[in-house]
Amino acid sequence: MLLINCPYCDDALPELEFAYAGEAHIARPADPSKLSDEEWRDFLFIRSNPRGLHAERWRHIHGCGRFFNALRDTVSDRFLTTYPAGQPRPDVTKLEAAE
Amino acid sequence: MNDYRIKGRGRVNPNRPVRFTFDGKTFSGFEGDTVASALLANGEHLMGRGFKYHRPRGVVTAGSEEPNALIGTSRGPGRFEPNTRATMQEIYSGLTTESQNKWPSLKFDLGAINDRLYMLFSAGFYYKTFMWPKSFWDKVYEPFIRRAAGLGRSPTELDPDHYASRYLHCDVLIVGSGPAGLAAALTAARSGASVTVVDEQAEMGGTLLSEPSPMIEGQPAWDWLATTLAELAGMPNVRLMHRTTAIGYYHQNMVGLCQKLTDHLSDVPADAPRERLWRVRAGQVILAQGAIERPMVFDGNDRPGVMMAGAAQTFLHRFGVKVGNRPVILTSHDSAWHTAFDLADAGCKVAAIVDTRTDIAPALMQAAMSRQIEVLTGHTATATGGRLRVKSIRVNPVRGGTVGAARTIACDAVLMCGGWTPSLHLFSHTKGSLDWDAKAKAYLPGHKTEAVHIAGAGRGLWGIAAALEDGAKAGADALRDLGRKAGAATYAVTGDRTGTGITQKELPTDRSPGSAKAFIDFQNDVTAKDIRLAVREGMRSIEHVKRYTTNGMATDQGKLSNMNGLTIASDALGKDIPQVGLTTFRPPYTPTTFGALAGYHKGSHFEVTRKTPIDSWAAENGAAFEPVALWRRAWYFPKAGEDMHAAVNRECRATRQSLGIFDASTLGKIEVSGPDAVEFMNRMYTNPWAKLAPGKCRYGLLLGEDGFIRDDGVIGRMRDDLFHVTTTTGGAARVLNMMEDYLQTEWPELQVWLTSTTEEWATIAINGPNARKLLAPLVEGQDMSDAAFPHMSVAECTVAGFPSRLFRISFTGELGFEVNVPARHGRALWEKLMAAGKPYDICPYGTETMHVLRAEKGYIIIGQDTDGTVTPEDAGIGWAIGKAKPDFVGKRSLARPDIVAKGRKQLVGLLTENPKTVLVEGAQIVLDPKQSKPMRMIGHVTSSYWSEALGRSIAMAVVEGGFDRMGDTLHIPTADGGSQAAKVTGCVFYDPEGDRLKVE
Amino acid sequence: MNAPVKSFANVSIAVLPPVARLNLRIAPANLAAASAAFGLPLPTKIGQGVVKNGHAAWCLGPDEWLLHAPEAEQAAIVADFAKARTKAPHSLTVISDREFTIAITGPRAQEFLTVACPLDLSRMAPGTAKRTLFDSAQVVLIRDADDAFRIEVWRSFFPHVSELLDIALREFACGL
Repeated sequence: MLLINCPYCDDALPELEFAYAGEAHIARPADPSKLSDEEWRDFLFIRSNPRGLHAERWRHIHGCGRFFNALRDTVSDRFLTTYPAGQPRPDVTKLEAAE
Repeated sequence: MNDYRIKGRGRVNPNRPVRFTFDGKTFSGFEGDTVASALLANGEHLMGRGFKYHRPRGVVTAGSEEPNALIGTSRGPGRFEPNTRATMQEIYSGLTTESQNKWPSLKFDLGAINDRLYMLFSAGFYYKTFMWPKSFWDKVYEPFIRRAAGLGRSPTELDPDHYASRYLHCDVLIVGSGPAGLAAALTAARSGASVTVVDEQAEMGGTLLSEPSPMIEGQPAWDWLATTLAELAGMPNVRLMHRTTAIGYYHQNMVGLCQKLTDHLSDVPADAPRERLWRVRAGQVILAQGAIERPMVFDGNDRPGVMMAGAAQTFLHRFGVKVGNRPVILTSHDSAWHTAFDLADAGCKVAAIVDTRTDIAPALMQAAMSRQIEVLTGHTATATGGRLRVKSIRVNPVRGGTVGAARTIACDAVLMCGGWTPSLHLFSHTKGSLDWDAKAKAYLPGHKTEAVHIAGAGRGLWGIAAALEDGAKAGADALRDLGRKAGAATYAVTGDRTGTGITQKELPTDRSPGSAKAFIDFQNDVTAKDIRLAVREGMRSIEHVKRYTTNGMATDQGKLSNMNGLTIASDALGKDIPQVGLTTFRPPYTPTTFGALAGYHKGSHFEVTRKTPIDSWAAENGAAFEPVALWRRAWYFPKAGEDMHAAVNRECRATRQSLGIFDASTLGKIEVSGPDAVEFMNRMYTNPWAKLAPGKCRYGLLLGEDGFIRDDGVIGRMRDDLFHVTTTTGGAARVLNMMEDYLQTEWPELQVWLTSTTEEWATIAINGPNARKLLAPLVEGQDMSDAAFPHMSVAECTVAGFPSRLFRISFTGELGFEVNVPARHGRALWEKLMAAGKPYDICPYGTETMHVLRAEKGYIIIGQDTDGTVTPEDAGIGWAIGKAKPDFVGKRSLARPDIVAKGRKQLVGLLTENPKTVLVEGAQIVLDPKQSKPMRMIGHVTSSYWSEALGRSIAMAVVEGGFDRMGDTLHIPTADGGSQAAKVTGCVFYDPEGDRLKVE
Repeated sequence: MNAPVKSFANVSIAVLPPVARLNLRIAPANLAAASAAFGLPLPTKIGQGVVKNGHAAWCLGPDEWLLHAPEAEQAAIVADFAKARTKAPHSLTVISDREFTIAITGPRAQEFLTVACPLDLSRMAPGTAKRTLFDSAQVVLIRDADDAFRIEVWRSFFPHVSELLDIALREFACGL
């Protein structure tokens, strides 16, 4: 069981309190009707599924209730960082340099 | 019976004799004995039969790695456990044990015929043998394999024991209480850190329990041990847990522990859990698990009486038991020499020390000489003699790679040591790398992924002084990593037994290696030649060799066999060991009961059962219940003599004819509140909400962004800025989560908030022509006339004196109301309505009647008539889409090419040709029942009931192009090979004009 | 509802009588208006609690507060907040009946909760509260003192949690 740092609670808490919510930084188009079928398909279904660093969404569903984003290594399961929804994906090289 | 107990030796309590049975025969031992030590004290080595060949097997080890001495234990009715390691099961008065895998008896087992049929059971046996003919698989091969497979017999009764679980947080968790673990614990604990020490044994001390002779800090080892344990036990920041196995090591220093609490007790306190699973989150973990001795691989190495030298030493010192009177030592490591000396000093006649090495430390040679023990260096072992117990060993000199003439030495035990393997299973769970150390010829811990330190023999160190020093250092390192200060203590040790050794493949022989039964994996009966055969047949990776031979795949996970298998495989492949690779250890470290993993979740507590405020009334009034999501809901209310069918028909009649009452409290409820509530509702739901006035309600439909139906429910507008949203019972949490997702991450600018009120309200549905007559006199604060409170209205008022949100809605097609009151009043309101409804023969009904009544009206149930691939158009509820709205969740998808394509499955009604036939829900639908199999299936039945109101069966189904098939006859093949015909209709079977909703 | 208190020497479990229980959602920028309406300064850090004049509030999320008050004051509190709604938009939802409150007190209360609470309770200060899981039920865990906790659990999950506490109490009492 992982410990996940909720950026709103500012605390590392048991994974049990959290729910995974898919890939991050896929914003719903402002006007979906303007999208071609292919563009809409990509928005709905196409995900990066990387081996390695993945920006993804989590919700502190049994805690403060907030959705937030995380950078997690899909190989080691290690969280590099978590950050509030709406913030840009952090620069990984800076994070690793800071470690 | 010979008595192999040595007076004055061991840590068992000779003043507390304990009697137990093994295969029906009574044995006696002492408090502190294991089944294995007690049987050995009685001269019994034979404790089981091999898995494949049914060869007689004796105990090999003294610990949890034991592969052979697996027994069944009975602790009373329902308390039978197979495959218990006799080396771990402590004896107590009344314990009943039995051997396994034998028939008719352990000493005479007919299954031993397999031993003569080696070719049938060699590597790849299943893969090769059961290929052909294919038709034999179901009737011959599978039943045969199933009968032959498995070890021990499964218990058949319900497990009556309790199991428990705990979470624990500590600064330092130490696994293993040998010298390294204890030194680490002292260092960490003295600094004030919270420390937990676990050990799988009944007693703490690890190796020290088998090594009393060294002096530590001027004290005999056992005195030092007692002092140390007392010091630790006296510290409030220390938790010592014996009989506790660290079974798995998970992310971020979470370690799973299984603590055995009662399996050693003859009188178990009531309410005592048998085992407790601990989930420990540790700041730092110190693994001090020691090392496991490697068997020697030679013909006949599995005969009872052949065992690990270290085990013999443990039986001698910890239990005061000599494993034989005339042992032979067969070794390639110095440690077994000390076993020989200790046994000789305890009065055994050590027949010989046979060492494969030629270069032996002079001190050891002198010590052997002084005890008049014959020493044979540079020798191999090529066979053993005896049937149920070893009687002799055949040894040969090896000179320049040539095996010389054999000599047979009479003995009653062969004590072998093929070196030591650092125990790194838990470290391996963390995906920490294991690096091959060419000097130690062992895998040692490399790169770490967790905050972990490995101390002592676990990283290849040898001797008590080294272990103490390394443990103290690990403790100090852990403290440093925690940001605490500590100096590692030093320990003065005298009389330490240091030593070295080598490891090797199977021993050289002068006989045909092809006929040697030189076992590697005792539990799965894998021999050295099985490994070589696997390599010959093309297996290159150790992972393939493992699976082909099953080496290391038994319940001991190859604790004894993996390294020998790897060594032999690498030799056969002509590669160095690290190039062949290593198989992966996985949790649990030792077999763990399902009970421990389930913890408190058994019986009625297996999972959460949610109950409504009215549940207790239903239970008291004989309701049958059904599970819906986590809820239990009243299914129907049978009267005396009624079956479900009769009860449901009666409930349906009563509701359609007069008055029915239904507990709808499980419906999800969400308060959507804030200045932007209507905008939010417009974006989430398909329907338009702007023009819905406060005091009105509307059916709401929720799609996923993919355009498929996710949920539905009636939504009331309580104020301009407040909606009372209802969801399906199972969808409540999902819908709230989806709403929060959009609100927080897509539209954070909206000023609206969501609060679950599912459980704030008890909800009672009143349906039937007399519904208003029942309610009107009880309502205050709302004119109940049809004009003032028409269908699809909502009001805040009181009902029977309780504050209420009253909806006029119907899920039955009858005049209907839903009364929401604060949950605490739910049952009281229900009882008042029941009393007030007497003049109308008010009838409580359950979910089954609810389903029938709604199906008669063609109302869909999300998840039953829809399955995540159904659009509003498919379901025939396109009218619920606000076509003028620029956008809502899922709108764009409704224009996707495959959503607008022809031939989609659409929800239609089905009327069977035979009106008495009720179709099976889930049944597949075909156009032509006479077509050859596999038939082309064009849909399936989603809902099917007997309609009491119509006097016939009705069904709903999703059918390809269903809307264009109105009036067509379709066919539903049945399990008996027949088929039923049904005509396609619309979904509204009853009161299609909806007149019954309008009762004045 | 006053269920009998169950206890052994070191742990007591009691179901507490109802309170006025409200869920407040409001943008932090408007918090002053809510504090004025409720009569105490609402805490701003998740987990923190404030108790004053019989009212209590705990911050459960960035824009979420759990409010407790005597039952008799519920209607007045709802009315006070309603007055503030136009100037300080918010959602105030009565959840008095949504949950039951169980008090767990005694010298071993903290250890007792570890049967099903995954949190490191040694890091939870008295006066704080947080939403979390207890076994498989979502709860709000309130710590009133070193040896006093409250669990607020949704009504339908109460039987499950209550039964688990009973099992655990018997386990603690047996001493193994």
